[in-house]
Amino acid sequence: MSDHHSHEEPVGITSPYAARIRAIEALLLEKGILTEPEVQDSISYMEARSPANGAKLVARAWVDPDFKALLLSDGKAAASELGMAPEHPAELIVVENTPEVHNLIVCTLCSCYPRAILGRPPDWYKSFEYRSRAVKEPRAVIREFGFEPPEGGEVIVHDSTADVRYMVLPMRPTDTEDLSEEELAELVTRDSLVGVNVPRAPSRTGHG
Amino acid sequence: MTFEPGARVRVLPSEKPGHVRTPAYLKGKVGWVESLIGEFPNPEELAYGHSGLPERPLYKVGFRQTDLWQDYIGPAEDFLYADIYEHWLEPERGTT
Amino acid sequence: MGGSPGGSIDKGQHEVEDWERLADAINGALGAKGLQSTDELRRAIESLENYRDLSYYERWVAATEKLLVEKGVLSSDEIDERTAEIERRWDGP
Repeated sequence: MSDHHSHEEPVGITSPYAARIRAIEALLLEKGILTEPEVQDSISYMEARSPANGAKLVARAWVDPDFKALLLSDGKAAASELGMAPEHPAELIVVENTPEVHNLIVCTLCSCYPRAILGRPPDWYKSFEYRSRAVKEPRAVIREFGFEPPEGGEVIVHDSTADVRYMVLPMRPTDTEDLSEEELAELVTRDSLVGVNVPRAPSRTGHG
Repeated sequence: MTFEPGARVRVLPSEKPGHVRTPAYLKGKVGWVESLIGEFPNPEELAYGHSGLPERPLYKVGFRQTDLWQDYIGPAEDFLYADIYEHWLEPERGTT
Repeated sequence: MGGSPGGSIDKGQHEVEDWERLADAINGALGAKGLQSTDELRRAIESLENYRDLSYYERWVAATEKLLVEKGVLSSDEIDERTAEIERRWDGP
């Protein structure tokens, strides 16, 4: 049985499970449980997803109050409006940061994450250390990422324990009135969508 | 729906075996129902290939961090929310 | 897991390897065809005895195998055999 897509000589394979998943794939294809196009579609699906999608949602919400209201009341509908197909049957709930409230997302039980929008979660999000500490010492965790939660404000943790995926709508940075929606999206980092940090400040040398 | 937003609830301290989506750190803790998220097939049954029907109500439940952790570092207004199924909640009487 | 003691968070990000993409894709494809649910995968991962010794995608592969064997779709023996063949091919002549 010949190999296909990315089955060349492996370089620096680090795990015995690498061969194992290839074996499983080969067997599933041989038995007709899955087809090559189905596997390839699944690969392409994940590759198409990235934090840029989340940044687009945020930037649109920053410039369009109606879209913001939709994003906060019906995340899936808002994502669909921008051409992103969110997961079924998971709900997407977007929580808003304000001067008084800073939100942090975690999945202590596994690593639930809005993959259909943002793609794969970062390694740290899946780590035992993050999953253990984010619920109990969110302020210390956020500090570790370089952000100091505002004095007198609240830190709210959302543990994604069921069929809901969460994303943060960060606050729009100051001095961004002149930026276009695309330029605003460039300020929105993946970390700010999870809540361990906030968006970048605009560059001081002008637009973008 | 059994619980209205604002209802005080306790997470059951059950040690039910099998796949559950109620984290250990919340078992036995008291919080409030923030909202009804919707109704979903029971993950405890889906996990073993069953239909998970009938669907169960899923609530967003809030807790004060200072109620969850003895040594919590932060103000009393720091909250934690988790999504908990109705069959893991019971009404909690008594005052705040 | 939540609330357990934990050390500092390693913010490093490893390059996702092709086999990890494949683990993701196989699960996605099985899910899309209704052959496996997210809940089954979670349950299978949680039940792994060596959970803490495996990396994230290693857990996915082990759990996927567990479910496929459980459902009688594949046997561990045939997975072992094919894995050995693949490893021989990779090791070269």
